[in-house]
Amino acid sequence: MQLNHAQRELTVKIVYYGPGLSGKTTNLQMIHQRTLADVRGRMLTVETHDDRTLFFDLLPVFFNTQSGFKVKVKLFTVPGQVIHNATRRVVLQGADAVAFIADSRRAAGQDNNSYWKNLLENMRENGLDPAQVPVVIQFNKRDLPDTKTDAELEESRQKGKEPVVGAVAIRGEGVLETLYEVLKAAYRAIDGRVHLAKNIGLTEKEFLTQVFSLMDTKGTALEAEFPAKPAGGGQAP
Amino acid sequence: MTQGPRESVLQRRLTLSELLDVPTFTEVVKGFVELYKIGIKVFDEKGGKLADIKIGNGDFCGYVFSFPEGRSRCTKQVGRVKDGPLAPTQGARLPLLDDSAPIKGLVTSPCFTGLRYLLLPITFEGDVLGRVVFGPFLPAEQKGFPESLTEVSAQLEIGRAQELVEKVRRAPESTVARVMVHFAQVLDTLVAQGQRTLLTSQLHIEATLVQNRELEDRAQKLSEMNVKLKELDRLKSAFLATVSHELRTPLTSIIGYSEMLAEGLAGPMSQEQNEYVRTIMDKGETLLKLISSILDISQIEAGRVRLNFEPSDIIEVVQSSVSSVKPQAQKKGITLDVQLPKEPVNAACDRDRLRQVVVNLLANAVKFTPTNGKITVILTPVSAQDDLGKKGYRISVEDSGIGIPKDQQEKIFQSFYQVDSSSTREFGGAGLGLAIVKSFVEGHGGVVKVVSAPGQGARFIAVLPEKPATPQVQIAPPVQPTPVANDRF
Repeated sequence: MQLNHAQRELTVKIVYYGPGLSGKTTNLQMIHQRTLADVRGRMLTVETHDDRTLFFDLLPVFFNTQSGFKVKVKLFTVPGQVIHNATRRVVLQGADAVAFIADSRRAAGQDNNSYWKNLLENMRENGLDPAQVPVVIQFNKRDLPDTKTDAELEESRQKGKEPVVGAVAIRGEGVLETLYEVLKAAYRAIDGRVHLAKNIGLTEKEFLTQVFSLMDTKGTALEAEFPAKPAGGGQAP
Repeated sequence: MTQGPRESVLQRRLTLSELLDVPTFTEVVKGFVELYKIGIKVFDEKGGKLADIKIGNGDFCGYVFSFPEGRSRCTKQVGRVKDGPLAPTQGARLPLLDDSAPIKGLVTSPCFTGLRYLLLPITFEGDVLGRVVFGPFLPAEQKGFPESLTEVSAQLEIGRAQELVEKVRRAPESTVARVMVHFAQVLDTLVAQGQRTLLTSQLHIEATLVQNRELEDRAQKLSEMNVKLKELDRLKSAFLATVSHELRTPLTSIIGYSEMLAEGLAGPMSQEQNEYVRTIMDKGETLLKLISSILDISQIEAGRVRLNFEPSDIIEVVQSSVSSVKPQAQKKGITLDVQLPKEPVNAACDRDRLRQVVVNLLANAVKFTPTNGKITVILTPVSAQDDLGKKGYRISVEDSGIGIPKDQQEKIFQSFYQVDSSSTREFGGAGLGLAIVKSFVEGHGGVVKVVSAPGQGARFIAVLPEKPATPQVQIAPPVQPTPVANDRF
């Protein structure tokens, strides 16, 4: 989080973390598609020849608050492959909240666990206190065979304090719901430190409304709270 | 919120000059200017100039500039387009776009000369990073000059001004606006490319730095561990030396008193008693040899062995060594075939150490040669030795034992190494004899080799120089501390 009073600007950093091929980039692509073109930047992706993220993806979303503050939400993904740990650590620096994208298939359990540990270790290495940085878990790929049942998801939810969201990112299911949870958690963590509502007049409700009123929420759980608007004509570049 | 040791490029606000490759960008601007005949200027958010390509207006503007009032008005106009607000205020207005849709952020700034400028902000992630200025151009509908120009000076010749202004591109404002939108799209693409290149290259560097830091930490830990291990190795050698010494003292008494008993100095004994005492003596001698070997190797490893070379008769050294193992060989019915040269072999050596080399090789051969086998000892005369690159001689000891597999032939010279290290092995010993041989031979500047195959017996060859390089040598321990260079600055 960077709060610049002189420039009246707040930058929030969200990092999508998780094992390789769990769907981090797909999440960002879906958010990009569903966001109005004039409130988001280009999506930056650096891929290798096999379509896997080499460094990271970056999708900026920005808006002005009623009190005239400019808010930039920067969504990053980290490279999932094991060998890119140093890049993961650099991208994780200064994160306000993390969306941990897990593969719901039973066979992926061990991978999920080792990346979970890797996340905690890299947070500590970066001087982030895992207890202070909120994490939201997305169980992606709910449509594939051999996935955990809803009961098992509930069990995972009971195991820790992190919110758990089921998703099929490739179809856009659960993507905005995950973003909602992670932004809410990020707002609360930042507000706890710098009192956004008091100091810059930005309430949690306005923060979330500013972001999601610019998104196509059609068919998502957010539709009732933020009525759907026509999509921003955003074709992924 | 916590920052790393250096702020990452991902956290930093980027400037236009970082995002654009300025030389490439200048080429693109030049191309536009030549194609459309309108000047283009590009400024970053602080007013820094990234590109400035003029065309057509030089003579006209220069003429106006030559009048003091013209100069003052011109400077003001240039300041307006460069630093003024990107809004329809302070003399600027919204552009005339015919029937096309409004262009976000575009404003027109009319010049007092009747020419015009168009201004467009450069936005990136919602931030204004700078501006593009198109112009000046001559509006298509413009006829004559406005009063704001003609009042500049009574000396200003309208005819001359008219002649010069014709070199400026004449175009409708909406056309220039369309060209400008196209330019903005190209610029947007260049900025996106630039961002990609900048972030990936910077992140690559940052990731490499992180990796380097980790490797340095690891190297530091390894080097500390290495120092500890070397210290432990030294302690081990010192411990062995002390223990061997402490063991040897009482053992000599045991052997001495047994000897006295066997000699009957304490009164006569029965034959059975005598046999028992002799067994105590024999085993005591074996133990003493083992302890001596341990002491030798610990001295070698502690770097405390010094060889003194003096002219010697090598034949005598070999013969005396052979005679000391003869009893053991005879006990096993082994034939000792000793082949010595006819002429004397004179060379400089440390006699005691060389004798120990030959004794150890022979003891090894006796141990591994079955009953009624044969051991051949050959000493060659002094001649040129390829292995040493100088003159020397060879001592070879060949047995008819079990042989040594190829993959073990290097390892047998390591201390405490046994080809068969199982607890049920057939052959005793601590695995020190050959390690001592190797140290001593190499201390002489020689080499020791083995030729063998399983079941074919083994031949050990010590190749030794006639004259070692120096009269004295300190045998280097096998594990040497890494020399640390002194500070030089």
